[in-house]
Amino acid sequence: MITINGETISIVLFFVGVYGLIARRNIIKSIMSISIMQVAIILYFISANTAPGSVPPIGDVAQTLQVADPLPQALMITDIVIGIGVTAAGLTMFIHLYHRYGSTNWQKVMKKRNHHD
Amino acid sequence: MINLHWVILLPIIFGTIAKLISIKTTKKIMILFQAALVIWVTLIFVEVRKNGTILENVGSWPDTFGITLRADLLASAMVLLTCFLFLAMVIFVHNKHYADHLFFFLFLSLESLIIGIFLSNDLFNIFVLIEAATLIITILIMYKKTNIAIYDGLMYFLINVVAMSFFLMGLGMLYKKIGVLDFYALKTAFSQVKDPQSLILPYAFMITAVSLKAALMPLFSWLPKAHGTPSAPSVVSAILSGLYVKTGIYVFLRLQIAFSPLIDTSELFVILGFVTAIAGLMLALAQKDIKLLLAYSTVSQIGVIMIGINLNNPMAYWGGLYHLINHAIFKSTLFLTAGMIISEYKTRNIDEVKGVFEHMPAVGIATILSILGIIGAPLFNGSISKYLIASGSSGTWIEYGLILINLGTIVVFIKYGQLLFGSSGKKETADSDILEKAVVLTLSTLCFLGGIFGSELIAILFNVKLTVDRLSYGIKMLLFIGSIFLGTLIYRGLFKKTNRLAFITSFELGFNEICLSITLFFAFMVAYLKLTL
Repeated sequence: MITINGETISIVLFFVGVYGLIARRNIIKSIMSISIMQVAIILYFISANTAPGSVPPIGDVAQTLQVADPLPQALMITDIVIGIGVTAAGLTMFIHLYHRYGSTNWQKVMKKRNHHD
Repeated sequence: MINLHWVILLPIIFGTIAKLISIKTTKKIMILFQAALVIWVTLIFVEVRKNGTILENVGSWPDTFGITLRADLLASAMVLLTCFLFLAMVIFVHNKHYADHLFFFLFLSLESLIIGIFLSNDLFNIFVLIEAATLIITILIMYKKTNIAIYDGLMYFLINVVAMSFFLMGLGMLYKKIGVLDFYALKTAFSQVKDPQSLILPYAFMITAVSLKAALMPLFSWLPKAHGTPSAPSVVSAILSGLYVKTGIYVFLRLQIAFSPLIDTSELFVILGFVTAIAGLMLALAQKDIKLLLAYSTVSQIGVIMIGINLNNPMAYWGGLYHLINHAIFKSTLFLTAGMIISEYKTRNIDEVKGVFEHMPAVGIATILSILGIIGAPLFNGSISKYLIASGSSGTWIEYGLILINLGTIVVFIKYGQLLFGSSGKKETADSDILEKAVVLTLSTLCFLGGIFGSELIAILFNVKLTVDRLSYGIKMLLFIGSIFLGTLIYRGLFKKTNRLAFITSFELGFNEICLSITLFFAFMVAYLKLTL
């Protein structure tokens, strides 16, 4: 039986994002799907390998018995920053694309692009 | 003591402070700086060659804790190649008007990141570097701001971000199972793992991303758009196609070596390499655009390199790596000359360009030397690496496959070579920039030198002794001459008048389809590993 914990939810979320990428023609929805995948990855890193009841490694942890592994948390801070950068860059480029092509649909934009050639 | 992190940091720092200096002096100092960097990297290479691998723990943490930089022979050879090509590119753009402060900042940052990927020993570090490089390349390929650029840029950007998300997910699963992210610690940790089944998911996630980066068969459709887009300056196309795509192959190689005790997929990747090579050739033949033709030919050469490094044969392995370096040289020459031809003739259509030899003699010579390199003509560098790969595969179907691939390459470049001959209809010869001519001529001469001193160069670069047997090399060359005749016949018979493969270009994958193919590749990888392990 599959238990509901951070790990399984993150894998489900990841593939929800992948589904969005495959099935949605809207460019904004594609960028949102990428954000969903990123959230899933962050959740996976934080929740995998954590024993229940352990404390995040922040501040004075000398008294507590169980401290969570600090490495995934450090990596995920980096990934959150990258994720924000990627989303921001993607949306900025989308605005420019929208001004040029006047559509949010991948198919229509592709047709117009090939028309230019 | 040589500090490796300065090799990575210096270009980016220099690119930043160059903003303070006027652009004219910047360009001059830039050349000096790149030349100094090449000398310094050569010293590091000599040091590695003499005393073995240099290992540096950034922040002086103990081994496997923090980020480590590792310069072994392969890595330092690749860094040397990187710095050399960037020197050539910086000289090439010296008199170009688009080369402003922003361009140099982005260009040098890209150099830093590529060097970083080659030297890095930590998987997460590689992820961060590739992600940053993706962003910079996106800006660089849109640099001339033409109308269609924004679509090409957005496609490139989002697809690579999706692929790297797959990579990061695999990395998370790997960290959960193993607990280290360092390539060499991984290797020792894997020897403790009893059950390879538990590593199928992380491996499949990561290899999917890396295969996309290296542009393997179903996952290459982003590459020609990015490398051949009209808005990218020709130096950017040259660096992307000559060098950056090799980082994908490099990470692939490192991953395969790390996973090799548990998961061996080399047979699958030989077949994928073959399919990639053939598909790239067919698509290259179908193109009318000069840059797109070259970009698709990159795809097919990557297939050849993949065949070489996955054959599990030392000859073919070193041949594959040598082909990687050779390809960097002749493909960047071809892209640079293509850029010069396009700006002179003001068209990208291959049928409209005629008589380059007569109109631009230096460019014509450089183009023909690098074409001879890429089709593996006798005495040129491509012939040595292709010979090594072929002799590593002797007795298998791959040997005949390679002959077929080379025949296809010849047909593609007979088509490309048509622009050299005929009459241009212009009276006087074009006056292109002297520095540009010098760069393309030097690079194309290297194609020739790399062929004559092939085995010596391999001995210097990779510290392996490979002898080129004169008799079998002669037989290969007879085969080559046969292929030339056959290739000319095929070209004249099938492709000269009408483009019979033009219908292929109408199947263009959109964003959703590419994402679907990434997912299908991933699913295929999982299924394949489940069945074979």
